[in-house]
Amino acid sequence: MKAFDHVTAASTREAVELLSSAAPDGARLIAGGTDLLTLMKADLIAPPRLIDLKPASELRYLRFDDAGALHIGALTTLADLERHPEVAQRLPVLPQSVRDAATPQLRALATVGGNLLQRPRCWYYRGDALCWLKGGSACFARDGQNKYHAILDHSPCVAVHPSDLAPALLALDAELVIHGPGGARVLPVESFFAAPTDQERVEYRLAADEVLAEITVPRQPEGARGAYLKVMDRQAWAFALVSAAAQVALRDGRIEHVRLVLGGVANVPQRIRAVEDLLTGQELTPKLAEQAAERAVAGAKPLAHNAYKVPLARELARRALLAATGLMV
Amino acid sequence: MSTPKTHLIGASLPRPDALGKVTGAARYPADLIRPGMLHLQLVFAQRPHARIVALDTSAAEGAPGVAAVLTAKDVPYNAHGLIDADQPALCGDVVRFEGDKVALVVAESKEQAEAAAKLVAVTYEDLPAVTDARAALAAGAPLVHAELGTNLLLHIPIRKGDTARAFAEAAVVLEGAFSTSWQEHAFLQPEAGIAYVDEQERVVIETAGQWLHEDRRQIAAMLQLPEEQVIVRYAAIGGAFGGREDLSMQHLLALAAWKLRRPVAMQWKREESMIAHHKRHPFDIRCRWGATREGRITAVEAEVIADGGAYASTSVEVTKVATLFASGCYEIPNISVDGYAVYTNNVPCGAFRGFGAPQAQFAAEIMVTRLAHALGMDPVELRRRNIYREGSLEPTQQPLPEGVSALPVLERCVEEARARLRYGEPRESDVPSAPHLRRGIGIACGIKNVGYSFGYQEQSTAKVHLYGKAELERAVVLIGAADVGQGAHLILRQIAAETLGIALEQVSMVTDDSGEAPNAGSASASRMTLMGGRAVHDAALAARAKWSAAEEYEAEAEVQFHPPATTPLDPMSGAGRPNYCYGYAAQAVEVEVNTLTGQVRVLRVISVHDVGRAINMQQVEGQIEGCLAQAVGYALLEDFQVRDGHVLTPYFSTYLLPTALDMPPEIVPVVLELADPNGPYGARGVAEMPLVPFAPAVAAAIHDATGVWLSQQPMTPERVLAALSAMNGQSTAG
Ligand SMILES: Cc1cc2nc3c(=O)[nH]c(=O)nc-3n(C[C@H](O)[C@H](O)[C@H](O)COP(=O)(O)OP(=O)(O)OC[C@H]3O[C@@H](n4cnc5c(N)ncnc54)[C@H](O)[C@@H]3O)c2cc1C
Ligand code: SF4
Repeated sequence: MKAFDHVTAASTREAVELLSSAAPDGARLIAGGTDLLTLMKADLIAPPRLIDLKPASELRYLRFDDAGALHIGALTTLADLERHPEVAQRLPVLPQSVRDAATPQLRALATVGGNLLQRPRCWYYRGDALCWLKGGSACFARDGQNKYHAILDHSPCVAVHPSDLAPALLALDAELVIHGPGGARVLPVESFFAAPTDQERVEYRLAADEVLAEITVPRQPEGARGAYLKVMDRQAWAFALVSAAAQVALRDGRIEHVRLVLGGVANVPQRIRAVEDLLTGQELTPKLAEQAAERAVAGAKPLAHNAYKVPLARELARRALLAATGLMV
Repeated sequence: MSTPKTHLIGASLPRPDALGKVTGAARYPADLIRPGMLHLQLVFAQRPHARIVALDTSAAEGAPGVAAVLTAKDVPYNAHGLIDADQPALCGDVVRFEGDKVALVVAESKEQAEAAAKLVAVTYEDLPAVTDARAALAAGAPLVHAELGTNLLLHIPIRKGDTARAFAEAAVVLEGAFSTSWQEHAFLQPEAGIAYVDEQERVVIETAGQWLHEDRRQIAAMLQLPEEQVIVRYAAIGGAFGGREDLSMQHLLALAAWKLRRPVAMQWKREESMIAHHKRHPFDIRCRWGATREGRITAVEAEVIADGGAYASTSVEVTKVATLFASGCYEIPNISVDGYAVYTNNVPCGAFRGFGAPQAQFAAEIMVTRLAHALGMDPVELRRRNIYREGSLEPTQQPLPEGVSALPVLERCVEEARARLRYGEPRESDVPSAPHLRRGIGIACGIKNVGYSFGYQEQSTAKVHLYGKAELERAVVLIGAADVGQGAHLILRQIAAETLGIALEQVSMVTDDSGEAPNAGSASASRMTLMGGRAVHDAALAARAKWSAAEEYEAEAEVQFHPPATTPLDPMSGAGRPNYCYGYAAQAVEVEVNTLTGQVRVLRVISVHDVGRAINMQQVEGQIEGCLAQAVGYALLEDFQVRDGHVLTPYFSTYLLPTALDMPPEIVPVVLELADPNGPYGARGVAEMPLVPFAPAVAAAIHDATGVWLSQQPMTPERVLAALSAMNGQSTAG
């Protein structure tokens, strides 16, 4: 790790100012540091300056407004989110999604903002190889060791997004509030994530001088329920092989509103609209859940070592839908 | 040996070092680093195979704070190794694996050393790499050590009886193909240490290892110094598991201190430790087993290939052990096994808890259970009919060393499994509310040698000083025995106190300095309790005898203990007396397989061991439980990924070790005490044994639960799901 200087930002505004006055690649925000520092220790990035956002305590909050929307400050830790009784009661998919993320120690440090901005765990990316995502010419995982990689082919890169929280936020139609030198903008979390392209070899769309300030979860349809399921190689402290988030609202026994999002299958979490279209207006039966799950993996193109993810994704999709509908616990 | 009433033997005395270890007071090697020391940073090859065309250190030498950049030309004798000295300390000509070392930067601070290491300019000409053991044996394969003209490091055949005839006459013949992967020791404390030249012109290395005197031998040879001029001292050792048997950095610390005449320090990052130190060998095993209708196993044929990686390390011995155990712990009249150790451009492989036994018996135990199924026989019954008994002939055609307890260990295991797991009873539906969760039980046996094998001159030396007036007041025991966390120092102290008839507090130990304490031999091969313990016992008896006779109030005795001799294996037939002692184990494992996700949870383990005599029962149980944690990782999780010679899993984020939640909720250690004829108070070793039967027991349990056999270790969810999908066709998994 290279030496760097460390400055603090006491507010969002100050952070934006510090970022925009820095040279290109001259500064990075640090929140919990749990991803940033691992990248720096592996010499994958070497920002000459870190701007510590933690003193900006105005960014650490969890609050329901009168309209029923939840506002999550970007500095809220995963542990805050996990333990908030009202969140657990009204939006259970959120604590469910972070409960199995990382470890208690990490969740106490890791922030919600940093979680959405963490980089892939692909071993070629984290190692010395100059792979495509790091600016090289080839993706080594595509024809190499790819048991943890994508089964949907959306980019030259086949790494999957490591966040557990992101699929849940997608299932809740969350929006992000982003502050930059020109003011604030609001963006659906689904458009914030995007598969890396030749021009932008990164999984999110955030300018270097922007600060992620808030995640807003809109009021959910009446009676909506959610579920997040994650499968890991071991019982704790592992990234998802595949995960599924579902949010479902029924009216008179029929599905009025449904979101199904899969993690661990593509560069970014995938909302599966085909399943939502299939289910809306229907009564969810075990049979229909099976059909929906089949459809969820219809486009899958597994690589040499990850064909197991197809049945895994199908089963998780099925079970998440059933769980969110209360047909299965 | 006489075993009178004892007061300290068997007592679960608490570990004197435990408090310091949990409070942080214990000083591990990295804690010895002091201000003013020079810091070392290695330049690793980071490529599997290449010729060094040019090595330019000038920029690094000119960098701030740099005191020196050492390369191959600075090493007096540039080769080391436990058996063959085939590994350069610093490569001058060719690099043979990713973790090979080409330069050693010495600087005033760690940061400066790291920065300067990046300035060392090495021009490589990449050579074709061979990274698969079978491919390495093919004609025309790139050579890892060109001067040898072959990648074959060892071929050892074992021949007994007439397998061709036995297969022709067998009622059932089954074939199997198995593969096992690398395993990382993952000790808590990555390699670290300090070195300096003392006022007597001796180079002193303070670090962690498993055998003071062997480290000293290799370091002295490298520096071309008399052994007495090299002092190796061990700080608290944060785990070893075989991973500290080979030199890692000890010799490089010594080299820098000797060259620069200043105290030096080095500490590896986890990822340096992961790529640079040796691993457990991956094996490729193909075999054929035959049995008669009556359940007599009559023939075993096997080809056992070990990927030894770039340097010899202990591959030759590991491969012999695996070859010996390819037929498990069963007396089989006709055996034909060929073991091969092969050089590749992968990470070198060497000692790791079990030392070839877990790999060989993963195959053997699965084959025995499959044979039983094919015969329509209970797997326990088939084992019972064939298992080693007193006087059984080994594959090497000699009777087993006395004290064969394989059968009582198995019987006890079955008894416990019946009582605790209801083994053998028809299972009611597993988890009625969740039909995708299936439970199963597997049983397997295991055997592993205690101590060094194949004609090695086994010895352990201890010295005991006695002091007092009218009464014997205190004793000092000198024995250079590494306590790698297994509790050897307490065991040796208990044995001394017991033998002398004094309290534990009256015995003090000198154990961690090669200049003061005599050579106990290695803390490996489950041998320290038997070998070191016996040396302490005998030295205590001898000193005590002198004390009674002496006029003065002081007596001392030094004893070198030799166990019964072993012999090398005959190069044509493998005949010989390979070992002087074996440990026997049997386990019953209950698992729950999630057929939707492929996850396997180990619910309960019964682990039965004949330890001869438990010197400290709590420590024996600790060894069983700790070893099972490593076994859970080995069987189910730890998937060390290497691609074209590059380690893809140098971090614990992708090399998954078991967590507390992955451990079985219930472990039942069962300790039998059927005295060994040579061990102190009858004790033999236990440290490796729980790793031997575990993976095949889990495989059998998965089969019991689901009907699929896994033949690749580790049995990850991906592999379980793939096997289930293959069984069920493509439609649904489950
Ligand atoms: C061992 C381990 C296991 C893990 N397992 C899981 C897991 O199972 N599931 C899971 O979801 N995650 C897991 N993680 C990832 C962890 O959750 C993330 O590292 C963490 O959430 C990142 O948050 P942070 O505050 O530490 O971010 P930092 O490391 O401080 O920052 C990450 C990135 O976000 C940027 N950033 C941070 N805050 C802002 C902001 N407000 N505006 C703009 N940019 C910002 C930083 O500049 C940096 O680029 C694991 C991490 C580790 C180390
Ligand atoms: S998957 Fe992405 S990160 Fe991994 S090697 Fe390919 S391009 Fe690089």
